[in-house]
Amino acid sequence: MGMKLFKEPELNSPTLVACWPGIGNIGIIAVDTLRRMVGAEELGEIEPWEFFYPRKVLIESGELKDLVFPVNKFYFKKAEGKDLLFFLGEEQPTDRGGIYAEGTKAYRMANLVLEVALKFGCSKVYTSGAAVAPIHHTARSRVWAVPNSENLIEEIRSYENTVLMSDIEGRGGQGNITGLNGLLLGVARKRGVAAICLMGEIPIYLHGFPISYPKGSQSVLEVLGAALGITVDLHEINALVEQSEREIESVYARLPSEIREQLDRLKYVTHAKPAEPGPITEEDKKRILQEIDKLFKKEPGVE
Amino acid sequence: MRDSGCFKVFTKPGLTTSTLLVAWNQDVGKVGTKVADYLNRKLGCQEFAEIEPLGFFPLSGVSVEDDIAQFPESKFYYSQEKALVVFKSDIPPSEWYRFLRSILDIAEHYCAVEELYIVGGMVSPGAHTTPRALLSVTNSPQIKEMLGQYGLVTNMHYETPDGQRPTLSSFLLWVAKKRGISGASLWVPVPFYLTGVEDPRAWKKVIQFFDTRLALGLDLTDLDDEIARQSAKIAQMRSKLPELDSYISRLESNLSLTAEESEKLAKEVEEFLKKTY
Repeated sequence: MGMKLFKEPELNSPTLVACWPGIGNIGIIAVDTLRRMVGAEELGEIEPWEFFYPRKVLIESGELKDLVFPVNKFYFKKAEGKDLLFFLGEEQPTDRGGIYAEGTKAYRMANLVLEVALKFGCSKVYTSGAAVAPIHHTARSRVWAVPNSENLIEEIRSYENTVLMSDIEGRGGQGNITGLNGLLLGVARKRGVAAICLMGEIPIYLHGFPISYPKGSQSVLEVLGAALGITVDLHEINALVEQSEREIESVYARLPSEIREQLDRLKYVTHAKPAEPGPITEEDKKRILQEIDKLFKKEPGVE
Repeated sequence: MRDSGCFKVFTKPGLTTSTLLVAWNQDVGKVGTKVADYLNRKLGCQEFAEIEPLGFFPLSGVSVEDDIAQFPESKFYYSQEKALVVFKSDIPPSEWYRFLRSILDIAEHYCAVEELYIVGGMVSPGAHTTPRALLSVTNSPQIKEMLGQYGLVTNMHYETPDGQRPTLSSFLLWVAKKRGISGASLWVPVPFYLTGVEDPRAWKKVIQFFDTRLALGLDLTDLDDEIARQSAKIAQMRSKLPELDSYISRLESNLSLTAEESEKLAKEVEEFLKKTY
């Protein structure tokens, strides 16, 4: 299984920030924004052909010039006392063709990413993804944080706008993190490496649609900045958030008023633990999703 | 018998050089399968190896096609005399790279393969009476130049459109290139209304190429008979059903059909030919 390193820099106990695409592209937008913000350089890549089916073939004048595979790259940034490693995957490898990583290939990739990080002396790992929550899109997304060991809980409690699974109503500290953003936590735990997954909230009525949700990424980015001791410039992500809000609002305005009224009830969710059932029933949820689905199908330009 | 885990070799062909022909069972108009079966039969090719389905196919039961239970097969055949190796297989739904590497491992290790051809059909909007071209995509300039001498179309431009993925044939061609094996995928147009039945003109086009290129010395009169039989049946259908005749006439004049007309033509041709076979 191939791994190609372009450079072999001397890094001082770097922190790895790794991410694969998932719901609303929340993690990947946050991590990629941070990577570009700190000016991380390319370090290497995983040879993709054992993990992925090619995305594209280029044939010029009858000759096969190239096959394009999903890119899986490492980056690094040397900085005073806080060296960083980044890993960004364009797709999650699966054994059975789903969207989220599972099976042998996913496990192999998680191990490969960690092996490279450990080769450079990595001592801590952050991954990022999305948390589907009963919130309104006008609300600030919180960040759900899951550590792979108990002694990271104190660190998580120190972050603003961040909750543990046990803080979330009805979960009792339980949950699942689908795909590699979760699997890497488990593999790191197996090898005794501290790891935390940061998940930005996405409204329950948007998570199934082919749109990015940079508002969730914005919250993750803020927490990542705090965790890594980096002052984060939010200009770029703020612009993305504004654009996305405009697009969501335009879809929202075209929803039947009855559906909109139901969704508006989510504006009053305060994240306090309600004694009564949530503001939207399962039946409501189904109908709302069907209505939004209709709108997205009518509007192929929305991505 | 040698068993390397994912494949079994029953007999060592002992070839010192050979050409490998790859055909996928899931192919437009079953062109690849028909070509492989035809060559295996006419050349008396012997089965000598297979790739085990375990690890490549789901094996969660069997599918049933035309009343018969199906099971994935990935088999190698060879003709000592013609130095030809034929690989006929279902397309695996996962572990593609490992599967393609296994094909080339067997072909290189046991048959000293030096040239690779992957045969397939492509859906064409044209009529069945339109002369067929044979299109090629190569993995080296040398093989491209050579194929040009056989009258193949060698100047195709293509980029996978968004939302689609390359064919497994392209993936295999790329893996072969990485291993230094010259190869080409060969594509023959199959009229859209024959993709669900059979298109002997398409098989003949491909088989003729191999006959010339590999000096197989085949007698193709049986194929000509097959083509004549199908032509007669379609002519009979055209005389009975003037509407379908007008559709085919328009295609013969390079005019297009509406989606509904195309669908009707494909459905009725398929029904007619299946009924009269």
